[in-house]
Amino acid sequence: MINSKQNLITQKSHGLYCQPANTWIDPYKPVEKAIITHAHSDHFTNGCREYICSIETGFLLRKRFGNNLNLKTIDYDKEFIINGINFSLHPSGHILGSSQIKIKAGSEIWLITSDLKRQKDKTCKSYEKLKTDFLICESTFGLPIFNWESTNKVIDSITKWVTQSEDYTSILFCYSLGKAQRLLSELNSQNFKNIYVHKSIEKMNGIYKSLGIELAETKVYDMNLVINNPKNSLLLLPPSLNNKNFLKKFKMVQTGFASGWMSIRALKKRSGFDKGFIISDHADWNGLIKTIKESKAERVFLNHGDGESLANFLRDKEALNIKQLKEVK
Amino acid sequence: MSLNKFSKLFEELDSNNSINKKINSLTKYFKSSSNLNNILTIYLLIGKRNKRFISGKSLREYYADIYKMPIWLIETCYSKVGDSAEVISLLLQDNLLKKDIKEDISLDQLLNKILPNLSKLEEPKKKSQIKLLWEKTTNDNQLIFNKILTGSFRIGVSKGLVTKAISNMVGIDESIILHRLMGDFDPIEETYIFLINEKLEQKELTYKPYPFQLANTFDEKIKETTSINQYQFESKWDGIRSQIIKRSNNISIWTRGEELVNKTFPELIKLISDFKNDFVLDGEILIWDEIKNCPKEFSLLQKRLGRKSPSAKIQKDLPVVFIAYDILEMNGNDIRSKVLSERRNILEEKFYNPISEDQNNNSRKIKITKLLKIKNWEELEEAKNSARNIKTEGLVIKNKNSKYLPGRKKGNWWKYKVDPMQLDGVLIYAKPGSGKRADLYTDYSFAIWEENKLVKFANAYSGLNNEEIKELDKWIRKNTLEKYGPVRSVKPELVFEISFDNIQISKRHKSGIALRFPRITRWRKDKNIKDADSLENAKRMIRN
Repeated sequence: MINSKQNLITQKSHGLYCQPANTWIDPYKPVEKAIITHAHSDHFTNGCREYICSIETGFLLRKRFGNNLNLKTIDYDKEFIINGINFSLHPSGHILGSSQIKIKAGSEIWLITSDLKRQKDKTCKSYEKLKTDFLICESTFGLPIFNWESTNKVIDSITKWVTQSEDYTSILFCYSLGKAQRLLSELNSQNFKNIYVHKSIEKMNGIYKSLGIELAETKVYDMNLVINNPKNSLLLLPPSLNNKNFLKKFKMVQTGFASGWMSIRALKKRSGFDKGFIISDHADWNGLIKTIKESKAERVFLNHGDGESLANFLRDKEALNIKQLKEVK
Repeated sequence: MSLNKFSKLFEELDSNNSINKKINSLTKYFKSSSNLNNILTIYLLIGKRNKRFISGKSLREYYADIYKMPIWLIETCYSKVGDSAEVISLLLQDNLLKKDIKEDISLDQLLNKILPNLSKLEEPKKKSQIKLLWEKTTNDNQLIFNKILTGSFRIGVSKGLVTKAISNMVGIDESIILHRLMGDFDPIEETYIFLINEKLEQKELTYKPYPFQLANTFDEKIKETTSINQYQFESKWDGIRSQIIKRSNNISIWTRGEELVNKTFPELIKLISDFKNDFVLDGEILIWDEIKNCPKEFSLLQKRLGRKSPSAKIQKDLPVVFIAYDILEMNGNDIRSKVLSERRNILEEKFYNPISEDQNNNSRKIKITKLLKIKNWEELEEAKNSARNIKTEGLVIKNKNSKYLPGRKKGNWWKYKVDPMQLDGVLIYAKPGSGKRADLYTDYSFAIWEENKLVKFANAYSGLNNEEIKELDKWIRKNTLEKYGPVRSVKPELVFEISFDNIQISKRHKSGIALRFPRITRWRKDKNIKDADSLENAKRMIRN
C-alpha cells in the first residue's frame, strides 16, 4: 500500500522515493537528488547529481568518498523546501551526523528514522523524539532476544578482557565509522596506554576530533610491521580482517567483535571470535517499540532487517496499523 | 562454590578458543572450589547423560505463558538462536522484567535439591516456581541456569579437556584420569576424591571399562610407506561397540557410549557367567543370522536396544552375538601394553576351545572375529569391495605391533570402509540447523522421481563445506515456495549426490525405502533435475 499513488513516500527499485520532490533517500543506485541519512557505505551510492545531508555527515562523506561530491549540507531541525515539499533533518542517535528525515506536504507528516539508537552516545547527538502521521522505522534488531546492556558494563568487560590477558594482543573488531569512535570515546576514561587502530579508523577519528569529540589516544597500526607482536595492547580493526591469514601473524592473540549480533552465540562461534561484546548503534527490541509508540504514527512501515515479527507483534498487541516494507527488486 | 562462579567459568571457556587458556581456567577453578562443587562441575561440563529437568519446548512455552509473549514469536527467536536455554536467557535480559532480589546458590543445592524438587511439582505450581527461579537468577547466570534446566551442555568442553586439566593439576597420566572417568559417574564428593587421587590403587577400576581405542580413516599412503605384513585384517562389523567385563562375579557390558547394557542382553550375561576365567573383551554386539551365518541389518539391533528387558520371544527372534576382536585384561592383569599379536594369541587360546566346541558353530553367542587372509594391497581392495556380500562395513586394519591405547592413535588402527551407495536427489525442503548452524538453512530433504512426481527419500545435514552452505542458504531464501513453520519448500532445481551406507525397505517412509547414514557428497551443478535418480533405481539397490 505504501506503493499506491497517494503516498508521499514510496519504496522503489532504487530505494525510498519522494515523488513530488523527485528526491530519493539513501538510494542504492545513482539518481538526480539524494538525501543521505548517514555516512555508512550501505546508505551511500556514488554518482548522484546532488546530495543533501547533515553538516557532520557532509564531513564524513567527503573524507570517505571524495571532495568532488556535489554536497549540500543542512543544519539539524532547519526546514528546506524542494518542489513545495518541506524537509528537515533531525538527529537519529545512530552515529555522528546520522539523521531522521521529516517530510511535510500540506498537513501530512512523514518521518523516516533510518538507522537509530536510543542509548546515550558521546560521539553523536541523541535521538530526537518527533511526532508524525506516517513512520518509516528501521527494524534491524526486531526480535525480543535483543536487549542491550548499559554501555558502561560493556566497556568494563572490554577493559577486563584486555587487562586480564597481558601476554596477548587483543584485537577488537568493529566498524570503522561510528562503533570504533564510540568505543574510543568510552575507553578514554579507562587509561589504556596502548591502543592501536587501523588506518581506516584513524581517518574517521580525524573528523571526530576536529569537531571537538574527545577520543582515547591511539596509534595507527602499521600493517607492514605485523611481525612485532604488541603485547598487552588493544587493536581496533575492521571486521574484514578477521581471517586466518591475517591472524596467523600474531603469536598470542585473542579476538573479539563489538556488535549487537554477538547476542547470538552461534554467530560468534561461526565467525570464530573468542569473545563477543554486545554493543550496538541500533535500537534494541524495546527501543524500537518505544520509538514506534512515541511517534504516535497512525501508520508504520518497517524497513531493514526482518521486521515481519515486530510488525505482527505490534499489530496483534497494540492494534497498530503496521507492516514490513517489501524490498522492490 | 556457586552458580556465580560456575557461570564465570563457563563464560571463560566459551570466550576463549585457545585450549591452553581453557585448561588454565579449569585448573584455577578446580583448585579454588570444594570437591563436591568440582565433581558437579565436571558432571555438567562433560555432559554424561545430564538429567533434563525440563524440555526446551516446555521452557519456551512457560516463558510465553508467564510473560504473555506469543509463542510464534518465541519460536521465531528460537530458529534464529538455535538453543532453547539461550533463547530464554536472552528474553530474560529484558530490563522491564528486572527484579531486585538476586541470590547466588550452590551447585549442590541447585542440582540435588531445588531442581529435583521442581520436576516433582505439579502444574500450576511448577510454573510459578520456574518464574520465581528465573527472577532470582542474575542476568549473567541466566544462560547457565537454563542450560542446567534443559540438560544441554555442549559448550566445547570435551571430556578430553577436563581430563587434561585434572591430569595437569594432579600430575597423573591422562589415560588414567580418562579411565577413572569411564563408566558410571556418580556426582558425589567421593568420586572427585577418587578422580584426583595421586596414588594408583590396584583395584580402583574394578567396575570400569577401559577407554576404547578407535580407528582412523584409511590413509592410502600406508600402502607405499609400510609393509602389508605388519598388519592384521578384520571385518568391520556394523554393530554396537562394547566391552564385556568379567571380574570375579561382577559382569558388565559397556557400550562405547558408556552405557551399561546388562539388562538389554540377559542371554550374554548368562553365558559369560559360565566362564571360569576373568577377562575384559573388546568387540561388537550384533544380531546374527544363524542360517546364513552373517549379521542381520542394523535396524533390528536398534529394535533390540529399545527393549530394556527383552522377552524370551524377542531374544529368540532377534538373537544377539558378541564378536570379540581384542582382549584387554586377563584374570585381573591389564594386558593393554602387550602388542596386538600377543593379545590375539591370548584371545584365541582362551576363547577357542577346539575340543568341546566347534569355532564355526553358528549358534555360538560369543565368537572371536576371524582374521582375513590378505597377502597384498590388491587383495585388500577386493576384500573391501566385496564387504557388502558378507554384510560388513568394510575392513579394519590393525598394526600387529601396537599397544591398546585410548582414542584415535595415528598408525595403529585404520578403518577401510566399503564405498558408499549413491543416488542423485533433488533438494525440495530446507530447515535451519541448530547450535552453531542456527539461522542457516543446513538441514535438507531430497527427492527422487516416482513416475513423474518427486518423492522425498532422504534427509541430510552434512557434507557441504562452509562456502557451499552459505551459497545454498542464500539460494534457499530466494527460491522459497512456501513456509511451514521453520521449514521451507523450495523450487525443485538443484541436484545433489547423496551417499549412504545401506538401503532397506521401510513401511514408515512414504517412499518405501530407508537409508542408513545419508550425507551429501557433491553438489551436482552439472545436473538438471531430470537427471536425478528414480525410486525404481533406488529399490533395485536393496539386497535381500
